[in-house]
Amino acid sequence: MDAGLCAEKCADVLQEKQNSDGGWGYHEETPSRVEPTCWAVSALTAAGECGKRSGAITNARHYLLANQKKEGFWTASPEMKTGNWVTSLVCAVLSQQAGTESPTLAAMEWLCGDYPLDSSPLLRFLRSFSKAKDISQHENTYRGWGWTPRTSSWVEPTAFALLAMQEFDQKRLPSVAARRQKSAVGLLYDRRCPDGGWNCGNPRVYGVAGEALVLPTAWALISLRNLPKHESKSLSLAWLEKQMPKIQSPGSLAVAGMCLETYGKESTQLKSRLHDYGVETLLEDGIHVLAWVCLAMNPGRRWPARIEGRHEPS
Amino acid sequence: MNLRNRRLIPSFQRPPSRVLIRRVADYQRDLEVLIGESIMEFRLTIQGKTVLLKPNLVGLDPLGVMNTHPAVISAARTSFLRLGAARVLIGDGPAMDRDTHAILESVRLREFTGKLGADFCDLNLDDVERVILETRASKLKELYLPKTVLGADLLVSMPKLKTHHWAGVTLSLKNMFGIVPGSCYGWPKNILHWAGIDRSILDINAAARPDFAIVDGILGMEGNGPIQGTRKAAGVLLFSDDPVAADATACRIMGLLPEKVAYLARAGTMLGHLDPQKIQQLGETVESVRTPFAVLPEFRRLVEEAVE
Repeated sequence: MDAGLCAEKCADVLQEKQNSDGGWGYHEETPSRVEPTCWAVSALTAAGECGKRSGAITNARHYLLANQKKEGFWTASPEMKTGNWVTSLVCAVLSQQAGTESPTLAAMEWLCGDYPLDSSPLLRFLRSFSKAKDISQHENTYRGWGWTPRTSSWVEPTAFALLAMQEFDQKRLPSVAARRQKSAVGLLYDRRCPDGGWNCGNPRVYGVAGEALVLPTAWALISLRNLPKHESKSLSLAWLEKQMPKIQSPGSLAVAGMCLETYGKESTQLKSRLHDYGVETLLEDGIHVLAWVCLAMNPGRRWPARIEGRHEPS
Repeated sequence: MNLRNRRLIPSFQRPPSRVLIRRVADYQRDLEVLIGESIMEFRLTIQGKTVLLKPNLVGLDPLGVMNTHPAVISAARTSFLRLGAARVLIGDGPAMDRDTHAILESVRLREFTGKLGADFCDLNLDDVERVILETRASKLKELYLPKTVLGADLLVSMPKLKTHHWAGVTLSLKNMFGIVPGSCYGWPKNILHWAGIDRSILDINAAARPDFAIVDGILGMEGNGPIQGTRKAAGVLLFSDDPVAADATACRIMGLLPEKVAYLARAGTMLGHLDPQKIQQLGETVESVRTPFAVLPEFRRLVEEAVE
């Protein structure tokens, strides 16, 4: 089976489902939202060599730019007023496009200024007197990113923020970015589950080891791909490889497949398994899932990263 | 009248609530008949209505102790359709894992219900609408809630009978955390923890109070719930037209004092009845099905002395 052909079909469907405002909803014929628009435009960009996607991509870019708030962030749904984790996604996607320097810089500055409260010095001090400190035994000095501002650090939003920083023009990164990245990487390594992989960010609660999940593991590994070899990465890659035959949902399968390919661990069955779902099932799961599958099927994708010739040794 | 147009009635203005306890040994028996007959006892207005079943789908659950059992969900769906509902939707927004498809596969829901298509709604990804939280129990002030929930005529909370490591117990009211969309607030919905779990439960239920509760206590979870606890068979299904009364009764079955569960104590003034005098007990008695559940040391205060 030619994976390129199937990616092309997924991209055609995505393009057909684009709303008139340039965005996509989580499901077809629903109002546009930022997250599915980010994934859809990434998939179309990867598939858009022949130029037939350029109009859709331009419209999607307009949708994203039109929905940026004056503070620099994006909200999950246009009518919301508080920025959240989708800002990282938009920043990563728009950073790959020319002419978006100003909005992405505003977004990056907002991201760099968004500190989770759980790791603030004051709360850490107060927690040292509380019994709650014994419930989750992770290190609280690391600061990543939360799903919403001024809450707690979690694995996936931290991974997305790292991905945004990696896509951003390194010369224009705010001065605090290097420190934030270092702390975020420390957080990811600290939050890894004992048997490898990540869940939302609770590796151990009440002394019981947390079980890893596919999506947080894959996103964390993708965000750590350029870093030197580390026990957490090798353990988690091994965990993810072991999960592959058991993964039943197309979304997790696509993202896990992209992750493993990023590390040079290609799954021979991946494309045919994804192909077997059919477009109808993918649409039922959501536009973002269709876009993930489209990206996973596309050998020419650039983002989320596929590192040519730089594979981590097993 | 759908949930958008409802006015919150304080507990003292509410008529007595009813709770029906049915003894059910396992998930093998004919739940459709049992659940259908049990719902009929309450004489709900179902004809032509859109019913939303809100089960507790938490995560991958190969042992079947974490999530509402698919046999119960499917039987409830069939029952409401037979009783004249125009449409019965099933919806949840799992809190820890955004791959709802994987959770559905893990619980084998579609094996029981058949193809659901648009009749299943991933509430994490649904279109949202701003809701001002009139009760202000927490600092949240507003939430963006799924339109599918707000548009339902009859909202049915279908929790699993479980202890919970932050809230004490997770039942009909705590189950409503699942209507808060992850796409807006994340996985987990951490903003609710920061606003105070107990207080958030009150605000969410005041904004979208379940009309009916079906508690899956055939097999529950004790100890470090809602995910890492231990399987506990209680052999009951609970039905109630008042989620507070359902939860209070469930606590009593678990050998716990509902008055000492912080959010339930306050819910007893706002959302329904906690006081046994205001609850008409149908079916089995609490005493006849009482099955003490173990709790974490932090929640020893909830345990009824008489059953210690």
